[in-house]
Amino acid sequence: MIKSKRNLALWVVFLAAAGIAPHVLGIVKTNVLVELAGFVLYAVSLNLLLSYTGVLSFGHALFYGVGAYTTALLLYHVEGFPVIGALLLSGLAAGVIGLILSPLLVRVTGTAFAMLTLAFGQLMFILCLKFREVTGGEDGIAGYDVPNLNIPGIASFDMLDPTVFYYFALAVCVIGVLIMWYITKTPLGQVVVGIRDNTLRVDYLGYKVPQTKAIVFAVSGFFAGIAGSLFALFQGIVSTDGVLHIMVSFYPIMAILIGGIGTFFGPILGSGILIVLEDLIMRYTERAELITGLLFIGVVLYAPGGLLWLWRGLMAKLFGSKSQPASEEVEA
Amino acid sequence: MSPVTAMYVAQAIHGLTYGMLLFLVASGLTLIFGMMGILNLAHASFFMLSAYFCYQVVAWTDSFWMALILAPLGTGLIGVFVERFLLRKVQQYNLGHIGDLLLTLGIALVIAEGVKTIWGTESHQVVIPPSLEGLVSVAGLEYPIYRLFIIGLAAAILSALAFILYKTRLGMIIRAAVSDADMVSALGINMPRVFMFVFGVGTIMAGVAGVAAAPMLTVFPGLADQIGLDAFVVVVVGGFGSLFGAVVVSLFLGELNAFGIQFIPRLAPVLVFLFMALVLSFKPMGFFGERDD
Repeated sequence: MIKSKRNLALWVVFLAAAGIAPHVLGIVKTNVLVELAGFVLYAVSLNLLLSYTGVLSFGHALFYGVGAYTTALLLYHVEGFPVIGALLLSGLAAGVIGLILSPLLVRVTGTAFAMLTLAFGQLMFILCLKFREVTGGEDGIAGYDVPNLNIPGIASFDMLDPTVFYYFALAVCVIGVLIMWYITKTPLGQVVVGIRDNTLRVDYLGYKVPQTKAIVFAVSGFFAGIAGSLFALFQGIVSTDGVLHIMVSFYPIMAILIGGIGTFFGPILGSGILIVLEDLIMRYTERAELITGLLFIGVVLYAPGGLLWLWRGLMAKLFGSKSQPASEEVEA
Repeated sequence: MSPVTAMYVAQAIHGLTYGMLLFLVASGLTLIFGMMGILNLAHASFFMLSAYFCYQVVAWTDSFWMALILAPLGTGLIGVFVERFLLRKVQQYNLGHIGDLLLTLGIALVIAEGVKTIWGTESHQVVIPPSLEGLVSVAGLEYPIYRLFIIGLAAAILSALAFILYKTRLGMIIRAAVSDADMVSALGINMPRVFMFVFGVGTIMAGVAGVAAAPMLTVFPGLADQIGLDAFVVVVVGGFGSLFGAVVVSLFLGELNAFGIQFIPRLAPVLVFLFMALVLSFKPMGFFGERDD
């Protein structure tokens, strides 16, 4: 009871803070928050694979990119295509790609999985680079209009207004994250964790391991696609370097690691730290990746479970609670 | 020789040159992976770092041969440092492969940005030493000496490596460690030192490849991208830890690359990844892999 009251209070504080944020922070920082909302969704979708299924993907940009390109292509070729429709179709396209690839992906784990996803990510990167007629190659697709968000009979929102877009991105992010959180709490989510911890045993218990994993890939791909779609709507330009580059696959891994591997909310914390830090670093130097790389090495060496585990360990030490940091929980 | 045959031969030697460079990078990677279970994502970055060292040494001493010795050694020293003080620490945590992958990814980022900070983003030229300049006539075909030099150098290193691995006591220990490092350790052999040695030799070989590639490809921040990804493909397809697999697949990829560019230029880069995806899907351990991870 106390816990749910505290959670409720936290939600109220979060929503209130998020609600007034654009009015307090100004446009530039609001745009950083929009970026953050998309990135959180993306990182949490990857976390379904990394922390819950226990596989490390080096090609998550594939789904992000498919989502972004779907939105860009839809808005470019079909004038006035509804925003929500584009968003959902992008997620669906990415999810379907996840399903199509899953018969191959479920066969491998560990390093082989990382390499296979890397291969698919690079394949898509090169294909989009080479098929200029469709994707615009290196230049990408730009100059599409983002139509108003229409809710028939109720209201019409101008998506080019930064504040409006911020609320839209926030809503998409929160809803997406909540759905994923709910999925981890369902029996399906429990089976997935079981597969991570002991695949053989889950198999012997009669659960269908490949099919379960395929569902997770599809769900994870779906939300990564939605995040990519948000990117396309927000930036107004989609290019191979922006959405399919190998770094796009690596960034959410960093966020998850910094925040806390094996947790649900760690990646959200990590995303916040990464985006805010990058924003700060960019003001002083062009070499943002140098600092991020160093930070990354530091985290792997000194806080191998991520900051959330560091915090929990500290709390456990201070208050003698029994929840020990358990970075052993995740194994590749 | 008819022009068509000449084209095939020239393209084949091109492929062989790249395949040999690839082998120098990939063999270190596969040995490190086979023994320590670490897929070193920074391996190609060492290749690039060595190319930059080569540029710097040539700029200072004006001698390519000096660079061929000093740059790989410098790179090897950094590699040993990384193994001793960073990787070994991460291996103590129980993070599985994720810890190694992430640490080496961080190192790769730092090297990639570090060279941009020190040497700038433009590409640097390293001149071919006069003794290796020019063309040589091979069976009625004009061919650059420098590329033949790369093939010879890599073949020499391959022979030396094969000799060490299959004819010496140290090689026996390394081969034993590829199949079961714990058991070798239990026999009283100082495994951490063997790990450090192999890691050092692996980075030195990547370094030699970097120096050899510098005059041919010029030195620029994206130098490691293609060869790095190709080297992973070699390790994965050839089988983790298999030197033989690394040789065969490196040469195959070199030729695939050369003839792919010749016949289907647009899709040439796709071939490599398509090949890896196919092999991984049906033979997850690779062609010559002995170890299951």
